[in-house]
Amino acid sequence: MSAPSVAAARSGSPARRLPVLVAYVPRACLPPRRLAVLALPCLTILAAGLLAHTIDEPVNEAFADVALLAVFGLAMPLGTLVIGDAVLGAEVRSGTLPFTWLTPTRFWELAVARWFGGWLVALATLVPCAAAAAAIAGAGELAAPIALGAATGAAAHVALFVLIGCITRRAAVWSLAVVFLVERLLGAVLSGIAQLSPAWLGRQVFVGLGDVPDDLSRSGVPEGWDAVIRLGLITAVCVGLATVGLRRLQLTGVRD
Amino acid sequence: MNDPALDPAFVDDATVVVDDVSVWFGQKVALSELSCSFGPGVTGLLGPNGAGKTTLMRVMCGLLRARRGGARVLGVDPRQSRDVQAHIALVPEEDAVPEALTPRQLAEYQATLGGVADRDAVERALAAVSLTDVADRRLGGFSKGMRQRAKVAAALVTDPRVLVLDEPLNGADPVQRVALIELFQRLGAAGRTVIVSSHVLHEVERLAERVVVIVHGRLAAAGDHRAIRDAMADRPRRVLLRSSDDRRLATGLLGLEQVVAVELAGGGLTVSTGNAGDLALALPHVSRDLGVRLREVRALDASLDSVFAEVTR
Repeated sequence: MSAPSVAAARSGSPARRLPVLVAYVPRACLPPRRLAVLALPCLTILAAGLLAHTIDEPVNEAFADVALLAVFGLAMPLGTLVIGDAVLGAEVRSGTLPFTWLTPTRFWELAVARWFGGWLVALATLVPCAAAAAAIAGAGELAAPIALGAATGAAAHVALFVLIGCITRRAAVWSLAVVFLVERLLGAVLSGIAQLSPAWLGRQVFVGLGDVPDDLSRSGVPEGWDAVIRLGLITAVCVGLATVGLRRLQLTGVRD
Repeated sequence: MNDPALDPAFVDDATVVVDDVSVWFGQKVALSELSCSFGPGVTGLLGPNGAGKTTLMRVMCGLLRARRGGARVLGVDPRQSRDVQAHIALVPEEDAVPEALTPRQLAEYQATLGGVADRDAVERALAAVSLTDVADRRLGGFSKGMRQRAKVAAALVTDPRVLVLDEPLNGADPVQRVALIELFQRLGAAGRTVIVSSHVLHEVERLAERVVVIVHGRLAAAGDHRAIRDAMADRPRRVLLRSSDDRRLATGLLGLEQVVAVELAGGGLTVSTGNAGDLALALPHVSRDLGVRLREVRALDASLDSVFAEVTR
């Protein structure tokens, strides 16, 4: 009953695997149907630019009012949820993750690649829409701040949703609960939650770096570049925890 | 545990060792203290639906951690070593595939992640399952059988030493079924450890000499498939017959030595037999001699669950 050891494992390097793992995300994880769903938050963001015209305030203030609510409060969390769930949680549910899991890919590579691939999708879809919304509103000077806020917020959100995909089977439901119950509801009243919320921190990046009234800033929550750093930390922690989650993941199969 | 050297559940040159594995999901026990091993060649993993075959295969590949015990592949725990994954391939039973990819893209993905340097490996794998012609069509448009073959190609591309196939013939047409069986047999003859699950006994018989039988998460039998078949054939079986004249047919069947009892009920004829195989051979002759047209022949307890229950009683 001897069992020969793995003598010389065939080795692929992370440098060779990572681009393939990242390319898999837009290719395989986001089929046309899911991209169609992603179009809704994109359209919502663009509509925010139009809505700003209906508010009788200075252009920047009007756009900031709409953007905080519609872009950072609704469309970005939902858009990144669609992406973040697609890159891992949906694969776990559907049973396609074993095609990647059953390879010598290291768990950290898988976590980083899924996050990065998802973030790239967000950068290519949601973030340009945010910048375009500023232009549509006539507040072109806010395009860069809102794009940065959306990009950094999306990085943290996608990482958070990847983490949720690793640790729970109903990733989409839990992700929705995090967005609406934790970030929107609890985050609105508890600064401690808002300080760790990608949605609140994303808007603080925008408010801190854009030329908008100071009273739009949430007190007790970092803003501007401090918020960018905080979002970077949250992203790193979530990707790190996702690595641990992948190691512990039990792929039971769809029917179990 | 019995002496492994004498126990048919174990092989001498094991590449996969399952040691006292128990897995449960909540209150449901999927595997219970199961120990066996697999070596080069084709081994059939047989059991009724829900017996725990898929769970065992997932434990062997490392997708699932056993609550107790564990599996070792090529000497290492597949949950601990990522390198060993280069030598294992699983073809899951589930229909799920990355639908936006083509078979070629899926195989290339597996080849790159598996560290395969041979550029022709993808084409060889696709050719092995006769998918070359449709290799650039999206998997989303494929039938179940074609998806299954695409998954087999993706599994073969890394030339794994251990190939685990969960009901790989599901959905395959008869021609492809034969081709796949021959392919698995070639791989087994080439020294690969090929483990094929099925709930259909005759399918496993065509594939593998050695069979491991699981029932209710426990090892029920292991060894040469003929011995297991004989053990099953010795048990009484019931067969439902419907014909143009059930009463006349019943009279004729009572004359056969392999028929234990005949019962006319519910618009059909229930025949108890000690040897279903011989009955199947005799039945056409009897019906022809009596001038009775057979409309339906169905084994009432043909499900492996009931047959295995007999074997394990």
